Amino acid sequence: MARYLLRRAGQAAFVLWAAFTVAYVLLQLLPGDSILIKFQNPELGLSPRQIEEIRAYYDGGASPLESYATTLLGFLRGGFGYSIDTGTPVVERLAEALPATAVLAGSGFLLAVLIAVVIAFAAGHSRTSWVRDALLAVPSLFVSVPVFWLGILLIQVFSFRLGLVPVIGGSALQQLVLPVLTLAVPIAAPIAQVLARSVDRVQAQAFVPVVAAKGASRWWILWRHVARNAALPALTVAGVTFGELIAGSVVTETVFGRNGIGRLTEQAVNAQDTPVMLAVVVLAAAVFVLVNLAVDVLFPVLDPRLRAVTG
Amino acid sequence: MPPFTKGSPMSRSRLRFAAASAATLAVAGLLGACGGTGPAADSPAGKAKAAGRPVYGGTLTYLEHQPPTCLYLPAAGFYPNGGILNQITDKLTWQNPETLKIEPWIATKWEIDKDATEYTFHLRDGVTFSDGTPLDAEAVAANFDVYGLGDEKRKLPVAEFVNNYERSEVIDPLTVRFHFTKPSPGFLQGTSVIGAGLVSKKTIALPYEEQCRLRNIVGSGPFTVKNQVVDKEVDLAARGDYNWAPPSSEHQGRAYLDEIKIIVTPEDNVRVGALISGQADFVRYVQAYDEATVKNAGFTVYAEPTRGVNNGLYLRPGNSILKDRDVRKALQAGTNAKEVVETLFTSGYPVATSVLSRLAQGYTDLSKELAYDPDRAARLLDEAGWTRGPDGVREKDGRKLQLGVFVSGPQPLSKQTLELVGQQWAKIGVKLEIRPADAGTQAVDIKDAEKTAVAHSMVGRADQDVIKSHFHSRNRDAILSDDEKLDRLLEEESAEPDVTKRNAKVAEIQRYVVDQGYAIPLFEEPQVYGGAPYVHGVAFEAVARPSFYSVWKSERE
Repeated sequence: MARYLLRRAGQAAFVLWAAFTVAYVLLQLLPGDSILIKFQNPELGLSPRQIEEIRAYYDGGASPLESYATTLLGFLRGGFGYSIDTGTPVVERLAEALPATAVLAGSGFLLAVLIAVVIAFAAGHSRTSWVRDALLAVPSLFVSVPVFWLGILLIQVFSFRLGLVPVIGGSALQQLVLPVLTLAVPIAAPIAQVLARSVDRVQAQAFVPVVAAKGASRWWILWRHVARNAALPALTVAGVTFGELIAGSVVTETVFGRNGIGRLTEQAVNAQDTPVMLAVVVLAAAVFVLVNLAVDVLFPVLDPRLRAVTG
Repeated sequence: MPPFTKGSPMSRSRLRFAAASAATLAVAGLLGACGGTGPAADSPAGKAKAAGRPVYGGTLTYLEHQPPTCLYLPAAGFYPNGGILNQITDKLTWQNPETLKIEPWIATKWEIDKDATEYTFHLRDGVTFSDGTPLDAEAVAANFDVYGLGDEKRKLPVAEFVNNYERSEVIDPLTVRFHFTKPSPGFLQGTSVIGAGLVSKKTIALPYEEQCRLRNIVGSGPFTVKNQVVDKEVDLAARGDYNWAPPSSEHQGRAYLDEIKIIVTPEDNVRVGALISGQADFVRYVQAYDEATVKNAGFTVYAEPTRGVNNGLYLRPGNSILKDRDVRKALQAGTNAKEVVETLFTSGYPVATSVLSRLAQGYTDLSKELAYDPDRAARLLDEAGWTRGPDGVREKDGRKLQLGVFVSGPQPLSKQTLELVGQQWAKIGVKLEIRPADAGTQAVDIKDAEKTAVAHSMVGRADQDVIKSHFHSRNRDAILSDDEKLDRLLEEESAEPDVTKRNAKVAEIQRYVVDQGYAIPLFEEPQVYGGAPYVHGVAFEAVARPSFYSVWKSERE
């Protein structure tokens, strides 16, 4: 197990470095840069020469390779530099944005899993074929709903028409309800689809009639036997949907005017604020790696057959 | 920050005063009496009067479209910045938005020498910044030394609204004199613009990056910053001891409101929906297509003019196709501004009748010259040798008549506007290639006449100099000008101390720009706000930034 974890940690470090490097190179290749975007503002009336001076002041006239090395070293030490757009330390901006997004994404994910489980098992349990078909159609519907549109629709109906939850002001909990729902729906779709399919597959296996013959009820079989076996593929998908959580939070946070990593990303992209974008990419990659590591570690816990292989 | 931030009010020249100053006139508080401060009866502020006596207290929830950027005062022209800074800073003088006259504020009176190279301001006694330090001659001198000269070491750029600044001189604690190397007739109006907000000596001594941050901005305004969640919310609280509103303001003393919550809400329909459902009191940037929704719900739409260079398409003579004046004139004749306004906008967006807005200083009516005439456009293009190709797009020497333009982020419905103009141009055989605004590409290509043949922009600013700001090759340079005559005309306008002569010069420039086909003015761009019926007393500075000093809320019906 220790060797396995060590190997995984090595892989994770490589993935992080690769994400950093690819992002760094791509950001350098983009036309224009944040300094030009910020200081070409006609109101400031700076000449191209003055903008060049400002740029020299920011990068200290370092060569591309030197800048890369300095930035990489900074990241290794946990210093992400300064946001060019706002002049604040990137760490500070991340620290402000991260808790809100963690709460939003975490709650969104839990709700998504809940929705997925309810749909998959209700479909798996149902004996009426049209109910079953209807339930199985729900994930496809969910996945085709644009997050943006869904957010607006929820706000219009629940906040503006029915007045159930305020969008402006309101308690932290009130501010969370609609965004979490918005985020959960598209995430629930792939998990529900995979889960429903594996429930079907597991139910078709030979041990199910055996357990039934022993007198187990249908719910007992579903929960004690099928669920456990069907959870593995769904878990993998859940790990992968994490990327979608980040993408979804960009849209959700913008629609609901929430602060967070998504909004920060959107603004950084608009201003081509390289230090912030790099930090976000590395952060996202780090969380992605951790989540998938956690999924892999959970596999043997759920399935005894896998323990021998990895142990 | 988008490359074309909308509207800076910065202006250099206020002529009326330059003329008056010839007699080294002390203007004193006289103007307050004749300045016409009472709002017109049909204006929103006029309606407020009918609503009864103002009450103190309450919180105004104000939804902003975008988060503020750098709050260094001279960069305050960006509306989200101005919306905050206008509440927390005061200026030396106050420009009456109705008459555009300069009235006393922190300066109770002033003297200007004959050739406008020496300005002496007498300051109001007892004014303090919110950190308790006095707003005295030294503080004012420190402010304008930075705005006028900049500071290389602290990376502070010179402000657009101060010209030919030499130095300040503190005469006594309440008297400050400014010296200029050359005549600077626009300086008086310059002291009234949003970017000339006065900040404490401690703030003005900070480097650029620090002055960008709201928490470091200490002003003397009726509100102070209470709390800020970066990019999300700014809470302002009324200053209890505020007692130095412009003398011509009906309301004196502290602000009526206790608090203002400025909340960034980027989604258009969330802002409007929140307003109508009572979750917010005031919102900025109501889209034209939402105006009817707001009005039908019994709410008020405030379409405030920006009094500058109109929203329009600016044609770059440096482009290899547009270097031909006939082609530019053809595009001008082939553009139907009236159709643009009628299709996409509302009565709050008057069709342009010149390069400048009708409310701009020195405006002259050129609607005849700008009439829509597609036949003439086609004829001009034929004569210039551009013949229709098989796909309907004109060609000459194997080259297509195709021109690039960027969607302009700050301009309302820019993409839709350009698409409609593109359809109009297609009828005369011209292809408009519309590119979405990605900040980096735009920052690079906007300065390239070959790639960006046409610019979609405007500038708001309540002064004759706005036209120089837009067209001069060393200012915003919207057309990437290589026209020495245009530069010369603009410089003459800017240095002309006589107001009648200066307005004549501004008219001449408008005629020249239209005649050369440099501009296709579309409409007079307003700033559109929406307000709840129980919100009274909202005022706007000359370029439509809101002031909440006199705002009060009555009971909701």
